Amino acid sequence: MLETLHMLADGFSVAMTPMNLGLVLFGCFAGTLIGALPGIGPINGVAILLPIAYSLRFPPESALILLAGIYYGAEYGGRISSILLNVPGDAGAVMTTMDGNPLAKQGQAGRALSLSAVASFFGGTLAVVLMTLFGPLLARFAISFGPAEYVALMVFAFATLSSLVGRNSTKTIIGALLGLMIASVGVDANTGVNRFTFGIPDLFSGIDFLVVVIGLFGIAELLALVEGMATDTLVVRAIDKTFVSWKDLIAVRWTLVRSSLIGFIVGVLPGTGASVASAVSYGTEKRLAGASGTFGQGDIRGLAAPESANNASAGGAMVPMLTLGIPGSGTTAILLGALLMFNVQPGPMLFSQHPEIAWGLIASMYIGNIALLVINLPLVGLFARMLTIPHKYLIPVIAVLTFIGTYSVVGNSFDLFMMLGLGVFGWFLRKLDFSLAPVILGVVLGGLFEDNLRRALSMSGGDWTILFESVSSLALYAIAIAVLFLPLLMSRRQKRQASDLGEE
Amino acid sequence: MIDRIFAAALFLLALGYGCVALTLHAPFQYDPLGPETWPRLLALALAVASVAMARRPDSDPDWHGATAIRSLLTIGSALLAYAILFEPLGFILSTALFCTLTARYLGADWLRSALFGVGMGVGGYALCAWILALNVPAGLLPL
Amino acid sequence: MRSYARILSTFALSTLGALSIVLPTTSMLSTSVWAGQPEKPECVAPAKPGGGFDLTCRIALTTFDVTKTLTNPMRVTYLPGGVGAVAYNQFNSVRTSDGNAIVAFSTGSILNIAEGKWGEWTEKDARWVATAGTDYGAIVVRGDSPYKTFQDLMDAWKKNPSSIVVGAGGSVGGQDWMKVALLFRKAGLDPRKMRYVAFEGGGDAMANLLGGSIQVMPGDVGEMRSHLETGEMRVLAVLSPERLPAPFGSIPTAKEQGYDVEWGIVRGFYMGKHVSDEAYNTYVEAFRKIFATPEFRRIQEEQGLFPLEKSGDELTAYIHDQTAQMRALAKDAGLIQ
Repeated sequence: MLETLHMLADGFSVAMTPMNLGLVLFGCFAGTLIGALPGIGPINGVAILLPIAYSLRFPPESALILLAGIYYGAEYGGRISSILLNVPGDAGAVMTTMDGNPLAKQGQAGRALSLSAVASFFGGTLAVVLMTLFGPLLARFAISFGPAEYVALMVFAFATLSSLVGRNSTKTIIGALLGLMIASVGVDANTGVNRFTFGIPDLFSGIDFLVVVIGLFGIAELLALVEGMATDTLVVRAIDKTFVSWKDLIAVRWTLVRSSLIGFIVGVLPGTGASVASAVSYGTEKRLAGASGTFGQGDIRGLAAPESANNASAGGAMVPMLTLGIPGSGTTAILLGALLMFNVQPGPMLFSQHPEIAWGLIASMYIGNIALLVINLPLVGLFARMLTIPHKYLIPVIAVLTFIGTYSVVGNSFDLFMMLGLGVFGWFLRKLDFSLAPVILGVVLGGLFEDNLRRALSMSGGDWTILFESVSSLALYAIAIAVLFLPLLMSRRQKRQASDLGEE
Repeated sequence: MIDRIFAAALFLLALGYGCVALTLHAPFQYDPLGPETWPRLLALALAVASVAMARRPDSDPDWHGATAIRSLLTIGSALLAYAILFEPLGFILSTALFCTLTARYLGADWLRSALFGVGMGVGGYALCAWILALNVPAGLLPL
Repeated sequence: MRSYARILSTFALSTLGALSIVLPTTSMLSTSVWAGQPEKPECVAPAKPGGGFDLTCRIALTTFDVTKTLTNPMRVTYLPGGVGAVAYNQFNSVRTSDGNAIVAFSTGSILNIAEGKWGEWTEKDARWVATAGTDYGAIVVRGDSPYKTFQDLMDAWKKNPSSIVVGAGGSVGGQDWMKVALLFRKAGLDPRKMRYVAFEGGGDAMANLLGGSIQVMPGDVGEMRSHLETGEMRVLAVLSPERLPAPFGSIPTAKEQGYDVEWGIVRGFYMGKHVSDEAYNTYVEAFRKIFATPEFRRIQEEQGLFPLEKSGDELTAYIHDQTAQMRALAKDAGLIQ
């Protein structure tokens, strides 16, 4: 433990050199901007700036610190358009729209933005602390998760999400089914067979998740604004000067702790990332809040949960990459590539061979989180001002942002049409009182569930008992059952107590 | 009513999706489910859910009359045109055109619309292509 | 007055619409003008940024840059979709005569073409320019695996082909599966008896190997570089024609152990089918020029690739030969009719 702290101190001396400090600040700022553009999340931000970092011939630790700053910054930035425009900036920010945007619509954009910055800071920092203390141990735990355990994890995720069921449960289920169907398009990962591609090569690798998100949320929101303008039901807000209060923070303190832990653990597991982390933590908080919550209408817990979880998962994903050399997410895969470009071999040897890189990077995460908080809080007012843009300009601005987000990453105009089609469909669904979150979660979880189930069964040669063999899976099933039935039991007990009291 | 119509459309979707799922087949596979089982289950579930939806429809939403529909169709077509022109014209020209006309249609005067459009086109390109090094099409302009 | 303006802007919007129908067709006609050097050199990575195709393009870009072989700077663009299918399709339709662009490919692309996964297009529908280097297949087990040598593993397979769980980052019929299928055939076993799990990418497969969910991973030598020293994983055999340079020198090839199986993961570039000979030869020449430079070797090594230098007709013949072999193999395994 003492040695760890010592190494960390050395790391800080690397990260605190003026150049590295400047780079982490720049990375955080650029990352925030990139993340704020809908569709361009951490993966693309890092991938796009990696060649630039390489060509500037920075020493490896500096380049990595810069890229990690961008990674973190983009996770922070993703929430801005979620809250202000109801358009998620990236995959992990989808759940942020659920309560973030209603808050903004109530004229509390400043409060929502500042609260989410604090939540992000909390999640990010807790993740780095846990990583410093338990990194290698956690990595061992993460790789003990095989396909069978992932199946159990998905069952658990579905169980927490059952709390998302809206007014019309049939519509929630239909939404999730549509999402699952969208996820089934493309080459089947197990057998390589094309499914629902109809010979169109653009569909072979499936419908890109971001295109679904930008279409369903971005374009649908834009159309809803147009409709609102035509019927004169929109209000242009005055500059709102709301800000997060201590009372808010105290109210969400346990939400922050729980969600950060969930986010971190989900992040450590390879293959599940910010989107699963934020969805599970949101579902859990909604479950726990029960009738006391106003989730979906601007509950601050519903905003704090996904925001702390997605930043914690970004930190968690670093654990298997640094300690084992295994990328846990798309972004860390690219960071891994960056290490290799600089002739640095990640893995257990990284800490002994290049302590300055490993610990410098970890120290820079501490600094990055603080830097992001410092950068973001003063900017809250500026961002919130975006809502005062008259709609005649805001509508085309949103359109341009969605086009940039969809096109710039992939450079395929086919996706633009796909995005528009999904947008019209999304607007129609909203009109019919469908919630869009189940659709998105169907897309995220569907592929993971099916692929891992079939992987587990190919491992066992078709024997289903493999799903119930390990302690981790059984524990997850148990928690899933608890999550599903506890609220029922609790309300029944309360009723009985109430009736007992009545009889006496 | 619209709920019933939509439920019928969903039922047809389930039917079509299910038919395609029936044709799926791998030359050989190591898992007992194969590529076909999961989609077939989804088709079945959607068919059942769409029947359930048709049995208990919600009341119709407010369509806000012809004005709203006309605006939506106009902006929708403008978006489609923007998508078609995005690559051939390039980011600056297509964005300037789209933003100018949309802002004008939504009620800004010509001068402001044009300034806004050109600003979005040039400013957006400068931000994306030069500062953030994103991939946006140059199109007709020699950039 | 207001309604007049509204009509006018509606009219303008509809002109925009009309323009959108006319324009794309005209702009396609304007293909590049040619003058000895590619005017706007472009390397198309048929994937998202950051992947293997991106690295392939960067090898070309960086070497052309440091050796000053091309007068104009090359840029990398991305055209993901269907592991290269979208790009192959586009370079057979819209950009079939684009003399500025080269597109990255790998053995995986060739395998897809051979198995008919890219529809009507075959290996004859592109002009193969040059290679950037190659990686080789590796048979990997966990450090504490009971299979100490390659022979141990083959013996265990022969005893019971379904007893060992194999996992890798590609689907059935993909490259990683092919590596094991070839070994099975050399040992007289039926690849259908294999127990194979497909993961999403090599990193996932590696995690499952370390976690004990799978026992054998057919991977690439390049990705093992960082794991050799740790002893967490062991490479039993490499699928190269002869032993590889350090740090892989101590690993035997499958061939020298009696199983004549080779699997190279070649990376290279192609152009559209209808590019002019002039444009094609310019790129072929440019690559031949950089093949001789020490910078190329260094950049190749930095990206974890081994030397393999083929270009022009030699590469074309090689690709045609490879596709024929893969096709026979796929037919044999029952993957295609």
